[in-house]
Amino acid sequence: MPNSAGHVKFVMPPIGSIGSGLASYRDLTRTLTDEKSTLYSALSAIVYMLQSLNRSPFLLGFLSNHEQVRNMSRVKRRNTHPGYWLSLKNVQKKDDKISADNLRFMREVIQDKYKNKSPLKVSELQIEKTEWDPKTKRSGVIARNIGRQQMWDKDGNKIVCTVLHVLDNHVIRYIPPEEYVKTSRGAIHFKNKTPLGCLVVGAEATNPEKFTRQYCNLFAEVGLMPKKTLSRFIITPNAALPPCTPITAGHFLVGQAVDVYGKTVDHGFQGVVKRWGFKGGPASHGATKFHRRGGTIGTGRDKARVWPGTKMPGHMGSERRYNRGLMIMRINMKYNVIYVKGTVPGATNSIVRIFDTLLPLRKFKEAPPHPTYFPPEDGTQKEEDIWDSRLHVFGSPSISV
Amino acid sequence: MAVTRFQFLSTFSRQFSSISNAHIVQPKLRIEEIRGKRISIFDKEYKRQQSLIPRLEKIEVAYEGFDNETTTLVMNKGVSTPYNCAQHISEHLMKNSVVAEVNGEIWDLHRPIPSDCTLKLLSMKPENQHQASLVNKTFWRSCSYLLGAVVEGSFQDDISVTLHSFPPANVRSGSFVYDVQLSLDDWVPSLNDFRQIAATFQKFVRQNHTFQRLDIDSSVALKMFEDNAFKADQIPHIATKSSSGNTVTVYRCGDHIDISRGPMIASTSLVGRCSIAAVHRLDSRIYRFQGVALPSEIYINHFAFGILETRARKLNPARTPELKSN
Repeated sequence: MPNSAGHVKFVMPPIGSIGSGLASYRDLTRTLTDEKSTLYSALSAIVYMLQSLNRSPFLLGFLSNHEQVRNMSRVKRRNTHPGYWLSLKNVQKKDDKISADNLRFMREVIQDKYKNKSPLKVSELQIEKTEWDPKTKRSGVIARNIGRQQMWDKDGNKIVCTVLHVLDNHVIRYIPPEEYVKTSRGAIHFKNKTPLGCLVVGAEATNPEKFTRQYCNLFAEVGLMPKKTLSRFIITPNAALPPCTPITAGHFLVGQAVDVYGKTVDHGFQGVVKRWGFKGGPASHGATKFHRRGGTIGTGRDKARVWPGTKMPGHMGSERRYNRGLMIMRINMKYNVIYVKGTVPGATNSIVRIFDTLLPLRKFKEAPPHPTYFPPEDGTQKEEDIWDSRLHVFGSPSISV
Repeated sequence: MAVTRFQFLSTFSRQFSSISNAHIVQPKLRIEEIRGKRISIFDKEYKRQQSLIPRLEKIEVAYEGFDNETTTLVMNKGVSTPYNCAQHISEHLMKNSVVAEVNGEIWDLHRPIPSDCTLKLLSMKPENQHQASLVNKTFWRSCSYLLGAVVEGSFQDDISVTLHSFPPANVRSGSFVYDVQLSLDDWVPSLNDFRQIAATFQKFVRQNHTFQRLDIDSSVALKMFEDNAFKADQIPHIATKSSSGNTVTVYRCGDHIDISRGPMIASTSLVGRCSIAAVHRLDSRIYRFQGVALPSEIYINHFAFGILETRARKLNPARTPELKSN
């Protein structure tokens, strides 16, 4: 098997199925990639097919198209504990009762401390004027999924959009490529590639009393109020931003494609019908206690055991996924809201990260706001609400037949 | 033998006369010798005072507890302490009592009760404002004392450390203070130095030493503190202000012995979070060590404690020791 440790995303077509062909021509020519973007050659694909031919118990069932891929051998699908290298974030102990006067005083101290005292405009931040090129990787943005809305295009077709609210993102620090490669995460990321820089962005400023001192110290250097969410964005050095730079919805353009990364909806412990799409059994006709069960879990002969990775009931959801190539239909600059076509991993009110897409055919052809969007100094703001050209703007005269 | 605090309050003023030799060398090994010597004098005096009691007489202590409930305890005169009374009542009182109120007068927890009285035990979360301010001052005073104890042993062998004194407790100033003379000119401590002293403070405090009080004659006190010229100078002044005209109150905590008039907390286990905020240089090698601490019972978040620390960094406006060199 090409990569036993990886989570193979594309399932190989059924081997014995003569109907669909041994493997379609398309599969032979298209490159196989898994989550970690490891490329497999067409040759390795053939080797894999031949190997699985050996193992496949469904060799005879060449008319069936439902072959289980049993290569998820004890791979951890998710973990809920934070990394060992992270400092403790939330306070563990509850405060003793503090008098109302003192609480008021502390609030004043916090406001005084984190009020933006600099009278300089944002564009005065030392941002080097860098050129955009098609190979540039820009920063992403941390947003919250606030639900779904429909848009209609001028032909009257409904387009379901997900509304993403871009939170108060600020750049915490920039780690240049030479430094980032030395970290444990960077070393894994750039094992056989040219290293890139890392931008640490935080969102959702919160009361420092809720967090531990170690967590607050991460923001103390830049003088920012501690943020609830932190994220790393891998960027090329020409897209670097100085600390305390705000990133808003204007960072994106209407009509561009984005990838949205989030944790999928947690369905909890689910049965085999919901989790894997099994058909179960007949609802009537004498079926005794066999309506939503899995049925057989293996043969008695080959290997004589249940193979690892056999589809069974279990925890479903709460997994990290990307939805790629989603088009931005509308941006509201005033409220920092992005309308993205399609759906996004995760439930409403969950945090997601938005990046410029990596799908090659949907990448930028012209320069986007690089390295990020800054409102124009002369006060002439961009329009508050920017709609895609093919959308019907709410409030405008309705379409005449 | 009850020395009333009121007398101290009304007439006490710490004025320090000139000292001919402002540079006193006290290397570290000597400090350990000195401490050993002081402890032996202390122990001897303590045993002597205990032996003065010919036979044990009984007294009735009326303990006023929670919800104004009164209990009568029969204790030993001149031997039993409020801590012993607490031992008869509950473990919670033993562990959490800071000071006692004997006949309305504030009293150390480990100080023997001389006669029939009413007793109240005060914890770090007292019922009324008046009790709270008393407990507060006691805690602040004890922290000053502990700061001196820790600073004495914190420096390297070649640097001489001579404790001068600490001003009366003033919680509103934002920090507790100890004035120390060091054989260093223009020392500016780094952040690491503060952390180190604070760590030593914490380590000392975690050893759960109790504060032992002893009223001694000024001659004994002079013998004890003959190595420290500052203290030797202060002792006659302190003695004249006492009720008998000749007594000086000393406290022992672990290995350290120091002079202080007022009641101290029961034990160092009551001290929780502490931080050494600043060291200000007063003139001629005298440094003012300033710190802030919280009782172990009280917990506030790091941000609130940070505000206290920032406040404690300001130079404490308490009276400075005057040194006139001849």
